[in-house]
Amino acid sequence: MPPALSIKGLSKRYGDGTLALEDLDLEIPAGSFFGLLGPNGAGKTTLIGAVCNLIRVTGGEISVFGQPGTGMAARRMIGIAEQEPNLDKFLTVYETLLYHGGYYGMRGAEAAERAEQMIDAFDLRAKRDVEAPKLSGGMRRRLLLARALLHRPRLVILDEPTAGVDLELRHELWRYIRGLHEQGTTILLTTHYLEEAEALCDEIALISRGRIVARDTAEGLKRSHGVDTLEEVYLRTVAGGRIAMDQLEEVE
Amino acid sequence: MLKLWKQTILAPVISSLLFMIVFGLSLGDSIAEIGGFEYRIFIVPGLIAMAMAQSAYSNNSSTIFQARNDRYLDDIIAAPMSARQVHLGYLAGGAMRSLIIGIVLTALALPLTGAPLERPLELLLAVLLTITGFGALGIIVGIYAQSWDNQSFINNIVILPLIFLGGVFYSVGRLGSPWEQISHLNPLFYVVEAMRYGFLGAADVSPWLSLGVVGAITIALVAWAQLLFSTGHRLKP
Repeated sequence: MPPALSIKGLSKRYGDGTLALEDLDLEIPAGSFFGLLGPNGAGKTTLIGAVCNLIRVTGGEISVFGQPGTGMAARRMIGIAEQEPNLDKFLTVYETLLYHGGYYGMRGAEAAERAEQMIDAFDLRAKRDVEAPKLSGGMRRRLLLARALLHRPRLVILDEPTAGVDLELRHELWRYIRGLHEQGTTILLTTHYLEEAEALCDEIALISRGRIVARDTAEGLKRSHGVDTLEEVYLRTVAGGRIAMDQLEEVE
Repeated sequence: MLKLWKQTILAPVISSLLFMIVFGLSLGDSIAEIGGFEYRIFIVPGLIAMAMAQSAYSNNSSTIFQARNDRYLDDIIAAPMSARQVHLGYLAGGAMRSLIIGIVLTALALPLTGAPLERPLELLLAVLLTITGFGALGIIVGIYAQSWDNQSFINNIVILPLIFLGGVFYSVGRLGSPWEQISHLNPLFYVVEAMRYGFLGAADVSPWLSLGVVGAITIALVAWAQLLFSTGHRLKP
């Protein structure tokens, strides 16, 4: 089976000259739960944007389950829940999901049925006819996730899905994401919560200055750096900037 | 699509009707006939053209700008739809609202003023070109705009004055030289003229010249909007 995501030589330089991604290679096996960790500005969101057709890349190749990343087949297989809630403020919960189904080629009845399923799955029934601005932060997170999953994507990209949510909802979202993974869906998760990455992910990549600087299981990363916690690995690699990069090269 | 009907449909219909009542029915009797038509009849095509053009423009510019600003445009760009499909979707949304306004205004204005509907096919062509062209202009401005002020600036400082100066309330043919010739450089003049020919069967210039100019402008604007969607310029960093 081809990898869920294959990225080769990906580069992105923004108009202001910022090099957000530099010749980045990454392969995520199908069915895995993959974590992407890095500080703000490391290139996580740019990488996700490139995979989801949300930015214009400067160079490189992306394929999703063997399909070219820019093609319709690849886009149909990806579901994304972005970091900031990006919901149409004029649409209700139900309409948000219904429209999304339409964007992904679902017929009216199919999209309506699926929207109702997702409303129940994410406990949004009481808010079904409420518009996005009137939802609480937690409810918006649920809706973002419901929208990302509505079209049954094979690769789900979650950009800090639990940022700013309370502990109870965080664990509820974890349960749901784990269940999704157990059903065979590939998950790419970015998070600032290291314990979240450690608890959920089969494999973790650390990104710094637009490049993947380390990749392994949580245990493997700790072992190769001779430390006890993922936090120490993080501090030694990506958080330390240039010095940490030098250290990493020494380790390698 | 019609969730905001009070704002997107009702408001422009009421404001256009007020123009017809105040200028046409109240003041019309004191103004001489223009081109053989009573004044209240003469102004109907231009007012309907103005309402439809502004609606097609402002609906699309605000829709795109809002989607960019709140970033829910990402949900559309990430979806398996081609640039052409997304473009067509936005054009159709703006055109549909604009068409509803045109139909409602026509249904009210004809019995109210006694205006005829002499050339329905030419009128239909003029309407389709107008709402498509102004819809595409709305998309372009919505994509380039950096604030709400930018898109309302184009409407209030460019479109509205050019439509007024394009002969909504008067015949450009009555203007002396050089204002008549200068008016012919105004692209909105041809929109008003094409619509006037459709309703009244008469206009200051040939209907084919009007339709040709409006058609050429529409094609150029649609091509520009398509280019923006295809390249992702200002839609994708």
